[in-house]
Amino acid sequence: MAESTGRTTLAAAVGLVLADSSIVVLALPEIYRELDVSVAAVVWVLIAFNLVLALAAVPAAHAAGTIGPARLTAAGLVLFSAASLACGLAPSIEVLLAARCVQAIGGAAAVCAALELMPATYGSERRAARAWAAAGATGAALGPGVGGLLTELISWESIFLVQVPAALAFAVPLIAAARGEQRAARAPGSVRPHLAANAALALVSAALAAALFLVVLLLIEGWRLTPIAAAAAVSVLPVCSLLAAPLARRVAAVDARAAAGVILIAGGLAGLGLLPKASVLLTIPPQALVGVGLTLTLSALTEAALAGRAPQAIHGGWTIAARHAGVVAGLLVLTPIFTGDLESERDDAEAAGTAALLDSRLSPGDKLDLAERIAAQIEREGDKVPVLGPAFEPLPDDPQQRAETISLRTSIEDEIDRAATHAFSASFLIAAGFALAALIPIAIARRRIEL
Amino acid sequence: MNGKGLVLGALAASAALVIAYLLAGGGDYEPTAVADPCAPREWRDPEGVEEAAQQFALSALDGAACELQVSREALAVALATPESRAEFAADHGIDDGELEAAVRAGVMRAIDDAERADALAPLVADGLRVVAARLPVDEGIALIEDASELFDGAGGVIDEIGGLLP
Repeated sequence: MAESTGRTTLAAAVGLVLADSSIVVLALPEIYRELDVSVAAVVWVLIAFNLVLALAAVPAAHAAGTIGPARLTAAGLVLFSAASLACGLAPSIEVLLAARCVQAIGGAAAVCAALELMPATYGSERRAARAWAAAGATGAALGPGVGGLLTELISWESIFLVQVPAALAFAVPLIAAARGEQRAARAPGSVRPHLAANAALALVSAALAAALFLVVLLLIEGWRLTPIAAAAAVSVLPVCSLLAAPLARRVAAVDARAAAGVILIAGGLAGLGLLPKASVLLTIPPQALVGVGLTLTLSALTEAALAGRAPQAIHGGWTIAARHAGVVAGLLVLTPIFTGDLESERDDAEAAGTAALLDSRLSPGDKLDLAERIAAQIEREGDKVPVLGPAFEPLPDDPQQRAETISLRTSIEDEIDRAATHAFSASFLIAAGFALAALIPIAIARRRIEL
Repeated sequence: MNGKGLVLGALAASAALVIAYLLAGGGDYEPTAVADPCAPREWRDPEGVEEAAQQFALSALDGAACELQVSREALAVALATPESRAEFAADHGIDDGELEAAVRAGVMRAIDDAERADALAPLVADGLRVVAARLPVDEGIALIEDASELFDGAGGVIDEIGGLLP
């Protein structure tokens, strides 16, 4: 395998696999409508992948030493590809979840073993570690946008189906390299994982789960944007993340990068928790801060966790385990909070909307008729934030009643938007707290001059 | 850029965003409060038949909701269909007798409010009170939904009272 081809293939394979930790985020509403499950259940499409990836990462890294890194990377990608096909063809949530677990096992093998191959193509372990971390962070940040685009243009199944040939294409040159691969002796180094850096990675990842997952739900479920519009809105985060890469390279101090990144992520999440109104534009500055923070902190903490430690694959496995355990913990803590808040805000908004309807100056006949249509629309939308526009159609012919109806619709929709926005506030603020908590292990590691 | 500058820059950017959003009203959100149904509610422009009927319905809802210690909005949603009424009664542990008593109390309050706003003559109001005291729940709800006949001249009132009697 040529050096430059090897670099591209390995980095792209890592990016592809780790994009799967977030790629289905924008498709979740579509999946739960089509497979007829609740929001709380559909979150497991995300959780299952991240949980199995966290559990399988370290054993997979150990296996790389036994089986051979090229062989394991190739085998992992083939398994990932086959499981992606099963995800794309899944007829039920149970099959989808099982396939996601297999996908994560293949992904863990490919990502951890790839780290062992990368120093040979990048020239040094430090450069390889940085490229490996950057590929993973880029994949996770790009995931929601790409997934949203595919969901809108084709279907949620296409998210998985396009990964089948991509993973196989990355596996082919590795299969060739794996032929005749000798079991090489692993370099000596500290076997103990870097506790502080991995703890910080877990906390930051719990916070990032909110940034990647809750923003999308706010846009699609709360503000009722289409997946493509939401994909465009959340593209701010990966774009800023990519733009921040040169900045991350210019600052040598790993502890400063980690701390600055965590502060930016916390600030961005706090901004999302304090949105003054339901406006996509207002989500841009907080997302920008999170995007820049993500690049700074993930690369710094991964570098710290790998520096001076060997074998690289095993310590890389620990960072994957920490990151994805953090994502799982974040989702498990935040999901019940925001679903509970969403339900309570929905009740408040329904009461406020009913009050607006009762106090409106519509004729009693129009009021009753409208009340019935609104109730039917809410019933049709089930436990989701309702889209009430269709209930107000057709508008009355009488100009005065027409103006009154339009004003009422605006007032009720505004109430729903504000309630939906507020329903996510507590979760974003708690996630900001996770990010700030990561400063503690970063400070501990700095005192020990380990970072 | 040195590490210290990067951390200070991150702190400044985060603080600026949070302060800007707080100043713009982020964190101030409170859901629009629904009015206390037991508090008196002024009738607005009770001159027209349609407007008077609307005010009558709102007063009756207030009175019934106050009696049941629920919001006017929750009761309005509950009274929309027999199914929603049954669900509401089960959720709040209300039996048929209590619901009927609440609807009658609501109609009584609406009559009082209408009389106070000069939308009903005292004589007509007295007649309606006698009827309201024995009003079956379905008739009470029908009256809340459309009381326009009450305000549509004396003939309308008499017909309406006759129609309400069990």
